[in-house]
Amino acid sequence: MKLKIIFILLFFIASSTLNAKKVNVVTTTTDLKSITELIGSDKVDVFSIAEGYQNPHFVDPKPSYIIKLSKADMFVTVGLDLEIGWSPQLLQSSRNPKIQKGSDGFIDASSGITLMQVPSAINRGEGDIHIYGNPHYWLDPVNGKQIARNICDGLVKISPENKDFFEANLKAFNAKIDLKLNEWNTKMSTYKGSKIIAYHNEWCYFEQRFGLKIVDFLEPKPGIPPTPTQLVKIISEVKGNNIKVIISSPYFTTSSSEVVSAQTGAKTIILGTSVGAFDAIKDYFDLFDYNIDRLIQGLKQ
Amino acid sequence: MYYSISTTLIAAFFIIIPERLLSQNDTIPKTDSVLLKQIEKQLNKESTPQVAQTRTAPSVLPDIGVIGDFQTSYRNNAKRNFNAGIHEAEISFQSVVDPYARADFFLTIGKDPVTGKFSADLEEGYLTTLSLPAHLQLKAGKFKSAFGRINPVHPHALPFISIPNAYENYFSEGINDEGISLSWLVPNSAFYQELTVQVTDGPIDNPSFSRSAGNRYLGLAHLKNFFDLSPNSTLELGLSGITGANYFDLRTNIAAVDLTYKWKPVRYNTYKSFTWQSEAWFSNADTSKSKAVNTFGMYSFINYQLSKRLFFTGMFSWSNKPYSVSAVEKSYSLTFGWYATEFQKIEIEGMNITRNIEKGLNQIVLRWIFVIGSHGAHQY
Repeated sequence: MKLKIIFILLFFIASSTLNAKKVNVVTTTTDLKSITELIGSDKVDVFSIAEGYQNPHFVDPKPSYIIKLSKADMFVTVGLDLEIGWSPQLLQSSRNPKIQKGSDGFIDASSGITLMQVPSAINRGEGDIHIYGNPHYWLDPVNGKQIARNICDGLVKISPENKDFFEANLKAFNAKIDLKLNEWNTKMSTYKGSKIIAYHNEWCYFEQRFGLKIVDFLEPKPGIPPTPTQLVKIISEVKGNNIKVIISSPYFTTSSSEVVSAQTGAKTIILGTSVGAFDAIKDYFDLFDYNIDRLIQGLKQ
Repeated sequence: MYYSISTTLIAAFFIIIPERLLSQNDTIPKTDSVLLKQIEKQLNKESTPQVAQTRTAPSVLPDIGVIGDFQTSYRNNAKRNFNAGIHEAEISFQSVVDPYARADFFLTIGKDPVTGKFSADLEEGYLTTLSLPAHLQLKAGKFKSAFGRINPVHPHALPFISIPNAYENYFSEGINDEGISLSWLVPNSAFYQELTVQVTDGPIDNPSFSRSAGNRYLGLAHLKNFFDLSPNSTLELGLSGITGANYFDLRTNIAAVDLTYKWKPVRYNTYKSFTWQSEAWFSNADTSKSKAVNTFGMYSFINYQLSKRLFFTGMFSWSNKPYSVSAVEKSYSLTFGWYATEFQKIEIEGMNITRNIEKGLNQIVLRWIFVIGSHGAHQY
């Protein structure tokens, strides 16, 4: 009898241990981390390599990230060569076959996304042009649904026993996106067609979704720091179009936009490009709440 | 500090330029860039969803890159004081072979300093496994040895033009050899540790080591320890040991330590950074069956990023020679670098070398590095 009880106890301990094993996920950015957490909930343990206030193009491939990658069951990347300067090297050094490109644990979040600004020819004379198209697609919340779909599919492959759980969370995520999208569109409806200036060419998906018009960029070409000639051109455009807002990102210095602001009165607004860019942006939904509220504050003037 | 300098410079620009320039749009150069066309397109378009576009066609071709290294220099103690020309061109081919391995090839076309003729050489060519168990990684082919910090790095990626004089005295342009390398990611959750063991044929034309005609090979072990001190700062401590045949076909043993501190603010990592890197090595070289020479060498440099594009490096080195403890050489150098983009940089360097046995040297070198095609990222 005693032996039976011990076996039953051992069975329950073993099964609860197995059930408690979380899927270990490493993402390149905090947005992918947030969506993975919303889909995986308590069945995932997620680490993001880049911080929310960091330029995702230029993350330093510190060896300490290799430790995380070596233990990962799944790796989620923005893709489209956004992380070309650092993630391939980290992946190779991880010695983890589960997350190499082509494996079940390698998730390209851009799969199925309708891309913008896909160049017909590549010439580095035009600056940092991405050969597959503009990679900042997560800044359209509708694309968030496709990202979540890709992540959900990846989680199901790794943890098929939790398929229903992940699918239910995906459904809830999509429903919340639809709900919030109505709210965001309503807020932005008054400002549709508003002309703005941006520092870097990373807002085209956001621009299209919320009906803004980015007239020009402080960078004369993507990745090239603002030049005096470009700033003169921008000042003229701001004055000519009665532009009220210049949007930038947390990882760019504001010295150039402040020059334009001083000359024209247009307000420089730092928007969040990723979850965690500011303390108030705790998840993927907060990202748009924050950006839309800040933008409206600027455009109201 | 950076902001105040940049703001001052930009503000100064607006004070200096004529006021009329600001109001004359026709003085602004028009560009036909893709970016401008995109902006014009966006200005004219209605906010309707864009049509799905196809992605770039996939290709099985490896990533191909070419790096040009143009140099011009003045040296005071030389038969020919001024030199200019392409110092080296590097052609790289890099790709994944299959799910189990990747391959990297680097061909160099270098100029012979005596004849001035160019010749091609295989700088590196190796296969790296991607899926060995137990966090192991095997590399086979010709590669730069995992010795310290400078050795594994290609010269164009270093923040100075001339290899530290002390380093050159012992390792010439670095140990680059044929053989196998096995590295192991130590299962340490507290900090990153990687142990690398390499066995190679023995380098040709290296001051400390030679390729033996007999069964003497070059053995190397390197332990890399990497610590995150804070989100913005890291420390790397490396320990290396090498043993192999020397010029006398006897044995040389070298023990080395490297220490690198880096500060790079995560948020503004493209604008500001600071690196302090040092290496020191102790050499024990048998020059005859009854005599061994113990010598020492070291270098230390700081690299400071003044702004997004401006870098400054100051370096000091001290060394004996591999077979002479009485020879002492010291060098100082200053390098200023202007990085136009990730694909182009210009550096100017002044260096002074003092020697107690031979004549010293003063030199100024200008280097212009440029990259076309695709080139893989370098190690942190």
